[in-house]
Amino acid sequence: MPDIEFNEEDVLTRASQGDRDAFGLLYERYIDRIFNYVYYRTGNLHDAEDLTARVFQRAMNHIQNYTDRGVPFSAWLYRIAHNLVANWHRDRSRRQEIPINDVPVLPSKGDHPEKNLVRSQEQDSLLRLIRRLPSERQSLLILKFVENMSNAEIGAIMGRSEGAVKSLYHRTLLALRDQLGDQSINLDGD
Amino acid sequence: MKKSKVKTTQPEEQLFALEEHLAGTLKPITPPQELVSRLRERIRFPEPEEIVWRLGNWRRLFLVYSGVMSGMLVIITFARAFFYFWGRRHM
Repeated sequence: MPDIEFNEEDVLTRASQGDRDAFGLLYERYIDRIFNYVYYRTGNLHDAEDLTARVFQRAMNHIQNYTDRGVPFSAWLYRIAHNLVANWHRDRSRRQEIPINDVPVLPSKGDHPEKNLVRSQEQDSLLRLIRRLPSERQSLLILKFVENMSNAEIGAIMGRSEGAVKSLYHRTLLALRDQLGDQSINLDGD
Repeated sequence: MKKSKVKTTQPEEQLFALEEHLAGTLKPITPPQELVSRLRERIRFPEPEEIVWRLGNWRRLFLVYSGVMSGMLVIITFARAFFYFWGRRHM
């Protein structure tokens, strides 16, 4: 896929005026990141695909409402994704579906294909624990580790201050560490 | 499942080790290409190559259109000036 360089401000202006091609450029730029976020929040490929499509459809339908008030476009998109995933979890809990623990293995960036075939038991256990965390904490960890965002960027998406994110992160780590006492995850770094 | 004890000495070290585990587990993934294409079709986006081509073409079309409009404006201005002076002479 070609890496298309463009001025995001210009493209956003055109997209908000209904230019679908311009929105297509934004889609190409953000599809991987939004898919990553949704995939880790849902834990299955099918729902991740469906929700990612809905994120972009909603963004396309409401882009004229997006005004650049210091919040980056990516933060706006993540907020849409965050809300849709929250609704998805709410609907799912109402329907009392069986939780999916088997996360399909997708190729990680920079990994060898052979390594992608095997996900360690530790990682699976940790993923299961992360999915048991409250929604906000899951989002925080995904944005921090998968998307490599700073506390300030995460705050912009979650509607919290940088300090509040830092505090929430610390509490999340402590909660995870406590839960790990019952799991086969070694924190000795061996 | 065999359980091993968490035997770290310092709480801070435990958190640091946990962060390392998280970094190793929560890695960016590449969505399958067919999924990206399927999504693009679903949202009715053109292919990236097509977008680039259309944008290039759109710029050319814009240049042609603005050239034609400018030319027409010049012609209309001259025509109006001509009829104005010609009309005054024959009044």
